[in-house]
Amino acid sequence: MPFDPHFIARLIPALVEGAEVTVELAVLTMAICLVWGLVVALAYGMRGPLGWIAGIYIQVVRNTPLLVQLYIVYFGLSMIGMGLSGFASGLLALCIQNGGYVAEIYRGGLQAVSPRQHEAGRALGMRRWTLYTTVILPQVVARIIPPLTNQAISITKDTSQVAAIAVMEMMKVAQVWVESSANTYDVFLGVAIIYLALTSVINLAGKLFERKLAFVQ
Amino acid sequence: MKEFAPLLHGYWYLLRGAGMTVLMAGVAVLPATLCGIVIALAQVFGNRFARGAVVAYLFVIRGIPLLVLLTFVYYLLPLTGIDLPPFWGVVLVLAFYYAAFMSEVFRAGILSLPRAQWDAARSLGMTRQLMMRIVIFPQALRLAAPPFVSLCVSLVKATSLVSIVGLWELTMASREIVERTLAPFQIFIGAACVYFCICYTLALYGKYLERRALVGH
Repeated sequence: MPFDPHFIARLIPALVEGAEVTVELAVLTMAICLVWGLVVALAYGMRGPLGWIAGIYIQVVRNTPLLVQLYIVYFGLSMIGMGLSGFASGLLALCIQNGGYVAEIYRGGLQAVSPRQHEAGRALGMRRWTLYTTVILPQVVARIIPPLTNQAISITKDTSQVAAIAVMEMMKVAQVWVESSANTYDVFLGVAIIYLALTSVINLAGKLFERKLAFVQ
Repeated sequence: MKEFAPLLHGYWYLLRGAGMTVLMAGVAVLPATLCGIVIALAQVFGNRFARGAVVAYLFVIRGIPLLVLLTFVYYLLPLTGIDLPPFWGVVLVLAFYYAAFMSEVFRAGILSLPRAQWDAARSLGMTRQLMMRIVIFPQALRLAAPPFVSLCVSLVKATSLVSIVGLWELTMASREIVERTLAPFQIFIGAACVYFCICYTLALYGKYLERRALVGH
C-alpha cells in the first residue's frame, strides 16, 4: 500500500543512513578531484610525454562509461591481486572519471583569461607571484565555479552507480527496500526527494560562492 | 598475449552488444532532441505558466540520477499493467531524461544570438514564424551543434546503466562473457575500448563542428 505512515517511519532512517554514504562518497570524490584534476590539467599543459599521457587520460576517461570503469576497478583489480573494498573501488572509479572532467574545467578556466591580462600585469611591473595571486587566479576561480558546481551535482548523482557493486549507498538501500517490501512509490519518492535536496544544496552553495566572487567580472 | 584470449573468443558477442548500445542511443536521441527543442522554445517564448512548468521539470530531472528513474520504471512498469517492452521503457526514460539537457543546449543556442539578428529580422518586416525559420533557427542550431554532440556522447555512456535493470547491451554482454570466462579485467577493458571507439568518434565530430561554428565569427 503506498504512503503507509508506519512503513515511511521505518524507511526514512534507512534512507538517511544510505544518504550518509552517498554524501561521503561525493565529498571525498570532489575533494580528491579538485587536487587530481589540477595535477592533470597542469601536466596536460606541458610539452613532452607527460602532456601526452595527460591528454590520453582525459580522452579515455571521458569517453568510457563510469559503470565500466567501476567494473574494471572492482572486478578487474581483484583478479590481478589488487582487490579493493566496494567503497574504495567506487571512490577510485569516481575519482578516475571525474578527474578528467575537472581537469578540463581547470583548463577552460585558465584559457579563458585573456593573455592581455598577463601583459597588463607585467607592464605594471608585477612580480609573477603577485600577478598570479591577485590578477589571474581570482578570474580563473570566478570562471570555474559554475562548471565545478555542475560537476559536483553530477558526481552526487553518479554515486548512485556504485550500487552496482553492492555498496550500501542510498540507491542500493532503496533497491533492497523495494525488493523486500514491494512499496515502490514510497521508496522512490523518498530517494528522489533526498537526491533533489542534496543537489539543491550544492546548487545553492555554488550560487552563493559565485555571487561572492562577482566583483571579479 | 595469452591473457587476452578470452577477449578473442568473446569479441563478436561484444560487438553485437555494441550494436544494441548504438541502436538504443540512436532511438532515444530522436525524441530527446525533439522534446528538447520544444522545451527550449517553451522556456524562451512561452507564457509564465509554460516557463514555470519547464523550470520545475528541469529542476526535477537535473536533481535525480538517471539510475533512480530507470530503476523506478523497471519496478513500476509491471505494476501499472502497461504492456510496454522493457526496451521501449528504457528508451522513453533516456529520452525524457536527456530532453532536459538538450533543451538547455538549444536554449543557450537561441539566447546567444546577438540582439542585432532579431532587430534586423524584425526591421525587414518578417513575421515571427519566418524570422524563426530562416534567421534564428539555422544560426541557433549551428551554435548548439557541438554541445549537442557532447550530449550524444553522454547518452551513449548512459545506456550502460540499463544493464543494471537487466537489459542486454554492451555492458550486459561483457558481464555475461565475464561470467563464462572469469576474466573481468580483459573483458571490461575490451568493452571500454569499444565504448571509447564509439564515443571518441562522436567527440571528434563535435570538435570538428565546433571549429566550423567558430569560422563564421
